[in-house]
Amino acid sequence: MLDIKDLVGGYGTVQILNGASLKVARGQIVALLGGNGTGKSTLLKATSGLIRPWSGSITFDGERIDGLRPDKIVKRGLVQVTQGKEAFPGMTVEENLRLGAYTVGDRAKTASALERVYGYFPILKEKRKQLSGTLSGGQLQMVCIGRGLMSSPKMIMLDEPSAALAPQVVMDIFRTIHRITRDGMTVLMVEQNVRMALLLAQYGYVIKDGVIHIEGPAEKLMYDDNVRLSYLGGTVANREAQL
Amino acid sequence: MDYVIDLIIIGLSVGMVYALVALGISLIFSGLDIVHFAHGEIYMLGAFIGLMLFQKLALPYVPTLLLAIVLTGLLGVLIERLFYRRLTRSGGGYTVAGMGMIIAGFGMSIVLQNVAYLVWGAKPLPFPVPFGMPVEIGNLALPMSYVWIVVAAIVLMFGLHLLLRKTMLGLAMRAVAYNKDIAYLSGVNVPLMISLTFGIGCALGAAAGVLIGPINYVQVQMGIGVLIKAFAAAVVGGFGSLPGAILGGLLVGVVESLGAGFISGTYKDVYAFILLIFVLMVKPSGILGVEAKVKA
Repeated sequence: MLDIKDLVGGYGTVQILNGASLKVARGQIVALLGGNGTGKSTLLKATSGLIRPWSGSITFDGERIDGLRPDKIVKRGLVQVTQGKEAFPGMTVEENLRLGAYTVGDRAKTASALERVYGYFPILKEKRKQLSGTLSGGQLQMVCIGRGLMSSPKMIMLDEPSAALAPQVVMDIFRTIHRITRDGMTVLMVEQNVRMALLLAQYGYVIKDGVIHIEGPAEKLMYDDNVRLSYLGGTVANREAQL
Repeated sequence: MDYVIDLIIIGLSVGMVYALVALGISLIFSGLDIVHFAHGEIYMLGAFIGLMLFQKLALPYVPTLLLAIVLTGLLGVLIERLFYRRLTRSGGGYTVAGMGMIIAGFGMSIVLQNVAYLVWGAKPLPFPVPFGMPVEIGNLALPMSYVWIVVAAIVLMFGLHLLLRKTMLGLAMRAVAYNKDIAYLSGVNVPLMISLTFGIGCALGAAAGVLIGPINYVQVQMGIGVLIKAFAAAVVGGFGSLPGAILGGLLVGVVESLGAGFISGTYKDVYAFILLIFVLMVKPSGILGVEAKVKA
């Protein structure tokens, strides 16, 4: 469904992606793993159109999408949910969600998408009239994922859905992502929480210095010595380094 | 006491003009992150366009006002597309282009003044609108031109409120104002929303120009004083806040009117800035201002 080939790109003159390639098949959950500054988020941004790739190709659903504007890519059914739980604090929960259906332009479809999102996240229905600035971190993440689902995309890319959330909340979010994929959604997920991501995903890629370093089925990566050494232990080391 | 009330009524109606210009400046600032220094000239062009429609096409006042608003809005879109946006080509968008945008605004202001000078000349032109008899409020005879300002400004502000709060388009414009990346990823056509925001900001400025025309003469230099006062109004109310721009505009109008009535009319232009300095000392973010929005 998504086929990224030899992607090169970065910010300004700083090259971050050095020819990364990856594939996501329809209905799959694919995890993209890697340490800080290895190009995970850059890869997602280049795919969603927020930054223009320098070379390489991105094919989605059989058509080239590299170089298209982000809103055009959303229209084709590929949506990115960014890192950092960025909702619009001055808008209500429902306004935030409705904004995600901007490309839909059909009241009935928007209403049914809204009901579906409320089905995944019942707490949001309760809080739909509240300003999103008053929500907790977990609820904000739900708003962001929900907003991504509002245009009924074919595929969604999640950038660290578990970042800076309490373990219990992380479990909830991952459980919902699982439900969403069971309902037929294709997911590409960037995660620091490697263990959780590999439990959920069928296939995984490990990115290092802007290229795919290791790839394979999730259960295989879980027991791969390189991955275990660098990332499963590494995340703890990174956390300590950050502290 | 009656004298005070009279001054306040006049101040409020002139304040509506400042409020409209300040609203345009604030709208553009919140949407594009630039302070538009050519906004006074947009106001001036709006007045001239209105005058031409009124005199050359002999349109009635209301169609004149509406058409001038639309035409100047379109002119704004054109200016944004042809000139300002080029400055953002090197990447980063309006937020990053900051200083260059300010200089470009000043440049645009000089260019537009000179274009207006070439087309309409330096002589102040009258904008005579037969509004009819003044309205009696107590013992104040308020000319109809002032009543028109108040009515038209309130209608426009209410319309803007409805657009921003009740429509999908308004929701998208607010999203673009807050975070362009997230707006993009929600499927919003961000460049179009930026043009639209700029155009509406210019349209509000044009409305102010057409409304003040019948009171003052229409002339090439008319934008300069209004820009500074509207800027003061926007800062007093809280820069980037739309209710703040309205409140600031009205306050500037009233303070100016009271100062002219009680102290001296000669220093009419000073009072707005005394108010500005006072507000900056007491509450630097402006009356309704919030802390500077954090940019990623």
